[in-house]
Amino acid sequence: MSKFLSKFFAIREIPVAIALVIVLGVTAFANPAIVSRSGALDIFLGVSVVAFLAVGQTLVIAMKHVDLSVGSTIGFSAWLIGKSTADGHSLIYTMMMVLFLGLVVGALNGYLVAYLELPSLVVTLATMYIVRGVFSQISSGRTIIASEVPKPISFIGLNSFYVVPYMFIVVVVLVFAVGNIMHRLRPARDLYAIGSNLPAANLAGIPVAKRVFSAFLANGLLASFGGIILLSRFNAADTNSGTGLELNVIAACVVGGVAIAGGVGTVYGALIGAVLLQSITMALGALGVGQFWQLAVNGLLLILAISLDRYLTLRVKPSTIMRVKN
Amino acid sequence: MRIKFTWDKGVVLLLIVSTIVGSFITPYFATSSNISFVIQDVGEIMIIALPMTYLIIAGEIDLSVASIVGLTSASIGFAYVRGVPFGLSILIGLVVGTLCGLINGILVTKFGLQSLAVTIGTLALFRGLCYVLLGNEPVDFLTAPITHIGYDNIPNTFLPYSTILLVILGAAAWITLHYTRFGRWTFSLGINPGAAEFSGIPVQRMKLLLFTLTGLMSGVAGVVYSFRFASASPSGASGYELAVIAAVLFGGVAIAGGVGTMWGVLAAVMVLGVIRSVLQLSNVSSNALLIVSGSLLLISVVLPRAIEVSRSRRKTSTP
Amino acid sequence: MQKKLTRSLIAIAAVAALAVSVAPAQAAGVKGIKTGLKIAIMPKALNIGYFDAWNKGAQTACKEIAAKCTYLGPTEATGPAQVQFINKVVQQKYDVLVISAADQNAIIPALNKAKAAGITIVTSDADVAASGAKSRVTAVLPAASERIGTAEVDWAAEAAGKKGSVAILSAAATAANQNAWIAAMGPYLTKTYPNMTWVGGTVDKSVFYGDDDATKSTAQFNAILAQYPDVAAIIAPTTVGVKAAAAEKQAKKSAVKVTGLGLPSEMAPYIEDGTVEKVGLWNPIDLGYVAVYAAGYAKAGTFKGTVGSSFTAGKTTYKVTAGGITYLGDPFTFTKANIATFKKIY
Repeated sequence: MSKFLSKFFAIREIPVAIALVIVLGVTAFANPAIVSRSGALDIFLGVSVVAFLAVGQTLVIAMKHVDLSVGSTIGFSAWLIGKSTADGHSLIYTMMMVLFLGLVVGALNGYLVAYLELPSLVVTLATMYIVRGVFSQISSGRTIIASEVPKPISFIGLNSFYVVPYMFIVVVVLVFAVGNIMHRLRPARDLYAIGSNLPAANLAGIPVAKRVFSAFLANGLLASFGGIILLSRFNAADTNSGTGLELNVIAACVVGGVAIAGGVGTVYGALIGAVLLQSITMALGALGVGQFWQLAVNGLLLILAISLDRYLTLRVKPSTIMRVKN
Repeated sequence: MRIKFTWDKGVVLLLIVSTIVGSFITPYFATSSNISFVIQDVGEIMIIALPMTYLIIAGEIDLSVASIVGLTSASIGFAYVRGVPFGLSILIGLVVGTLCGLINGILVTKFGLQSLAVTIGTLALFRGLCYVLLGNEPVDFLTAPITHIGYDNIPNTFLPYSTILLVILGAAAWITLHYTRFGRWTFSLGINPGAAEFSGIPVQRMKLLLFTLTGLMSGVAGVVYSFRFASASPSGASGYELAVIAAVLFGGVAIAGGVGTMWGVLAAVMVLGVIRSVLQLSNVSSNALLIVSGSLLLISVVLPRAIEVSRSRRKTSTP
Repeated sequence: MQKKLTRSLIAIAAVAALAVSVAPAQAAGVKGIKTGLKIAIMPKALNIGYFDAWNKGAQTACKEIAAKCTYLGPTEATGPAQVQFINKVVQQKYDVLVISAADQNAIIPALNKAKAAGITIVTSDADVAASGAKSRVTAVLPAASERIGTAEVDWAAEAAGKKGSVAILSAAATAANQNAWIAAMGPYLTKTYPNMTWVGGTVDKSVFYGDDDATKSTAQFNAILAQYPDVAAIIAPTTVGVKAAAAEKQAKKSAVKVTGLGLPSEMAPYIEDGTVEKVGLWNPIDLGYVAVYAAGYAKAGTFKGTVGSSFTAGKTTYKVTAGGITYLGDPFTFTKANIATFKKIY
């Protein structure tokens, strides 16, 4: 039994999941009015954008890299969708533009990090600025308003399956799709090897550059398609859309067990991490914690999560850190 | 004698070139009032870039610096509005900044947490405390004594008072990094922490000290910020951290640690300020500045690498 | 001979009349204002529809007084961001600055420097704090804070059936205009609607700040609902905030009543489908228009902004009241009945 328990708690996603249950439980107990349709909608809608981005970011962080450009990309994409629709283009054409944006940004990041072997922090910091600058220049103050959002996109935001907005269902489907790929596909599992021990990965014959490039390309594409979710969430887009999201996404990943040191973590964990952070925000409100304390408490909890994560990592045997299904 | 081209020399060159070119592009740039403004504009970023250079060279990073600036400013406001004498309020602000740095240092050294991740947490924590302190009441310092040195020039010159501070701090940081044992130790930390430990350098204590110093300097920047705007608001200096890091990296400091020069960083901060000023005065929109900053940052890492790659290719191709 | 002379005179008179009638209207300028002034029009931030309308009015006035006007400003509504542009205005040697203050304190040192450099400053829409009043000639504001604040409370009470709790979704904590209106709302609610309360007990504890940013305003709307699920009405005295609140209310299908200051063109869809019953606003076009005239006269030296002095813009004469403030008049309200007309104007 104890062996089962120790293995159970060694699963990185468990502590986060437990924390989530506790937070929700405490909130429901303290303020029963929050257990309502709008309370649930609040969490699902609020978490969708960050959770969507966290999927791609997990791929990148697992390799011990980071991608700071996602906020600029997703904002640009949301605006492009609105502008393209307002100009009368078909949905297909609009999606082609989104695809193009994701390919360009992802390939640029990927090439510089994988083939020129430049540090991802610097590269993606630079592309974050460049993409934001190009975006601001092209948009020059033009705001996208609700009527310019394509109907299918606003639909998934405004409508729900019982209490779950379709937008969130899209995110969950993505998480399970990518999670499955990460678990089964050999090339995907290589990402963990690259993150935990690069020299060993090289020696083992893993085509590191190819994998790193693919991961950044995928993340770029995901960030771009994430524009759909962002536009759906706010039914508006402007020059500042997406600003600052990158740090929230990294926080969600880290809280969800995707360690900055690389080599561990799953997209399921990242999703739970994102939901947990959103629930805490809601919980603080429901518990009557003044709005001015919320940001501070969020920061404190992030630090706690990182500390706990490190503590657990030190306690667990190295052989169980990297779970690989045979 | 062949002068070896290094990136930081390139940045200094770029500073000279951009200043000259700028004066021709727009007549408004090379005026004494504008130079005064540019110096004020880059002031806070330059002050924070000094300790950030040490940190990155030592292999660490701190994303919470902007929040510390804001928290220092908020603390000064909080104390002042409750009747604490202005001078004492400033002191309180500096102590708060130093404490924040200390917290970061403890989390990284004693708890062993990754600085990138944990400073994202303290970024939120410290910024959140700004809101806790000030809430919805921004504080007005206009009537406080000596705030005018935040935005006035030294009498009979076109230089703002802050120039004195920048020169002193910049010189101190430069000398310490390149001519003292403390500076050499900082480089050792970044090049090889294991070897540094082995050769007797107190690695953990050094890192703790570096983070604490970063907090103190961010506090100083916070004081400068409060003086310049004669006010404190909870969202003060939001977003500065990335600008500081970008400037430091652009100045030739390698993110992996162990490489960099202080004059490269100082020149980089000035270059970015000059370019922003020239672009603005030529009526180019601020979007262009974002693109230029990002591109310069990219070039700063691509160029040395490209040179390195072509050099190694040439080496292997010769029989 | 007589006939020929008369004929020529009539011909000349006709040609002269024709010439005068087709001559471009702006060549004349306005008496009392120098022509060719270089004027900077600075909003709290660009990309806000309200300020686009504000600028429209300013540009109309500029054409009438034959001045050269440029619309410029930051992309985020903060003081430090505006300071950069104020300094640009100084460097590029503008004559006049018409500005809506994003931060009532932080821009004062910069404005004082601008004034010292010879630039005439008029604040419009949002003023600086009293300690900075001498940097600007006058502040052109919509209506007395009490009237704007109390009107919004009336709309909220009306929508909520005069009972329940009320929260406020404001702009930046540093904005003088919103703060003044909120200060007026507090005692008025308590006095006039005994069955209504502020969610936090006092008005000060019931304000949430959306910083004139759509994303942040949406998040704050949700924060209000999370903290006070039974809130009856939310007042958003900012066009960005009220639009975000209406959009989020629609998305969440929430029952809370939303009202505040809204631009008719932006709020039309929400009023037409019933999400929002009523919002109000003055005409920002007028605010911009009058401000430019005030500045023009001030530059010429004929208008000094002292209490009791007055000036004429267009067909109306405006008088300066206590604190150096010039008021325009009461806000309009927009409901299903009149939204169709107003959404085309601004």
